[in-house]
Amino acid sequence: MFKAKLIISVSLFFTLLVVTSVIKNQTRIIEKKIVNLKVNVLNKKNVINEAQLDFHYLSSPSELEKKINIIGFKKYQPIKHSNIFYSFHDFSKLQNKISKLKDK
Amino acid sequence: MKNNSKKKKNKNQISFYFEDYNETNKKNKILKKTNNIQDRMYLLFFFFFSLILIFSIKITYISLDQKNILNKEKYSSQFTLIRRDIVDRNGVIISRNINTFHAAIDPKLVKDKSNFLIKLRLNFPELPIQEIEKKLNEKKYFRIKKRISQIEKDKFWSMGEKAIKFEPFQARMYTHGQLFSHIIGQVDYDNYGISGLEKYFDKELKDKKQLHEPLKLTLDSNIQHIINTELNEAVKTFNASGGGALLLDVNSGDIISLVSLPNFNINQRTSIKDEKYINKITKGIYELGSIFKTFTLALALDHNLVNANTIIQNIPRKIRCSIHEITDIKEHPKNLSVEEILIRSSNVGSVLLAKKVGVEKYKNFIKETNLTKNPEIELTEVGVPHQIKWNRCKLETISFGHGITTTPLQATALYAAMSNGGKLIKPSLIKDRKMKKPKKIISTDTSNKINAILRKVVTSKHGTASLADKDGYLIGGKTGTAESYGDKKNRINSFISVFPTNKPNYTLFIMLENPKINKDLIYNYRGIKTKAPLNTSGWNSVFVAGKIIEKIGPILAINNDEFTDLYVAEKFN
Repeated sequence: MFKAKLIISVSLFFTLLVVTSVIKNQTRIIEKKIVNLKVNVLNKKNVINEAQLDFHYLSSPSELEKKINIIGFKKYQPIKHSNIFYSFHDFSKLQNKISKLKDK
Repeated sequence: MKNNSKKKKNKNQISFYFEDYNETNKKNKILKKTNNIQDRMYLLFFFFFSLILIFSIKITYISLDQKNILNKEKYSSQFTLIRRDIVDRNGVIISRNINTFHAAIDPKLVKDKSNFLIKLRLNFPELPIQEIEKKLNEKKYFRIKKRISQIEKDKFWSMGEKAIKFEPFQARMYTHGQLFSHIIGQVDYDNYGISGLEKYFDKELKDKKQLHEPLKLTLDSNIQHIINTELNEAVKTFNASGGGALLLDVNSGDIISLVSLPNFNINQRTSIKDEKYINKITKGIYELGSIFKTFTLALALDHNLVNANTIIQNIPRKIRCSIHEITDIKEHPKNLSVEEILIRSSNVGSVLLAKKVGVEKYKNFIKETNLTKNPEIELTEVGVPHQIKWNRCKLETISFGHGITTTPLQATALYAAMSNGGKLIKPSLIKDRKMKKPKKIISTDTSNKINAILRKVVTSKHGTASLADKDGYLIGGKTGTAESYGDKKNRINSFISVFPTNKPNYTLFIMLENPKINKDLIYNYRGIKTKAPLNTSGWNSVFVAGKIIEKIGPILAINNDEFTDLYVAEKFN
């Protein structure tokens, strides 16, 4: 009787020890994977950050102006406000005014 | 029955006990052995129990102390940025931290020194090889190159030397180079702000709770670029020693652009001690000259001492005050209306108006507007205007902007107040900030009158700012030609414009330091091709302001119905 109890207790402890170790080991592996994924995410974020920085640098007005000069345009040409029409109605309204002035 | 008879038989029987000592000893031995085994089992049990306990404690400890196993801190410090971004009002990145490296050498790991030095010389001819050799002999760890680029890192890698170490480090990058140099400032190698906004908001920029939220500024990169380009061109055209520009939203106080020339590339760390590199808009202290005449006129109008059409009769050619002789550059008619005094920029006329206002009212005005106090802005580089000693003739000289110093920032903010209905706004570089209710310094009626007169300075035949008259933008403003305080050789030609004057939204300050007449430049002055007759603001600063407003106007989306009609009429008449 005594022996049986003892064997059960010892085997229970052994089993628990093994199970705990296995669980802990698995947890550790999973945690490592999580950390690796987190590092990957941070790495990607870092790459995105640098890409955004590059984008803002390359699309900065001075850089764009340089590119435009390479393409061949010498300068930005300011457009007079009167030449910008927000709708066809505005355009036709102006054309009517012009023709009225011509008639005069 | 048989059993009963047996019991009866044994009733008085005396029992004998014969102990077999051999057997007893045997039994005792077995018992003792069993006890020994039990003790051993207990001991074994205790041993295993202790082992399990130790393991359990260790497991618990490891589970709780994750940092050490997973080295999260190491990863996070390597990748997490330690300083917030700075963006303009459209979300365009102005400055951001990036991960980079310092290259260092551990001399103990160098196997073949001469071979190592040859490789180094081949890949990096700019490095001081002799100095490196000396350090290698000292056998102490040292940095060979700070803040290396990816290309340089790859070059170091390609050398295949174990001795080369890369120290992770975060560098601050500025996407626009020199465009915002006087505003943004710089950080040191330890990411501490040392100038500009980087210094002013050092604590906020490092706040871990807000790391993912950029610091949003009121500046506009595109407008800043246009103004910077035009001003740079103007500095070259008029052979000026420097320049400054400030574009301010008159209603909110948002600084849309702030340019000070010369500027410098903030990506390159150099110690700049030359005074010409100061922020001329916030730190420069100047006598801004005729720009102050607008304030004199506003005070006279606001106190109902005169109205715009009141004629001031018999204006003398010159006024003597103590040792000072106040005259006008040009000869003006003897009788001038109040608005004409400003349009023609008459010094003597302004003195007469100031005398009507009186010293006390003028004093209160300067006190209320904080003109001679430190400018309030989110920068550490601010100038301290000289304190006024109200002695004899002070009122007279101040009336046309002499004997009083201030920063262009304060003067522009006051022009904003003159045009926005009298509200003294606080210029700021920070978007979406909490705003206090502004103090009212003049009435809305006076402000409207001032706007109309400023427009006439540009459109009137005798106005001093005709070159800024650009169709559609209803520009108004006042010129100022003066000397730098304490340095009469240093000439300041400035122009503060307000546009569109029918409902002012913006005020633009343009300043050129020591400009010269450009003899090759042909102006289109009221339809006539001409060269500049004088080295005054009207022939340089105004010209630059007109060019700038014509370019930034469409970006600022100024819509004006009056313009369309004007343009068509002009086309066919």
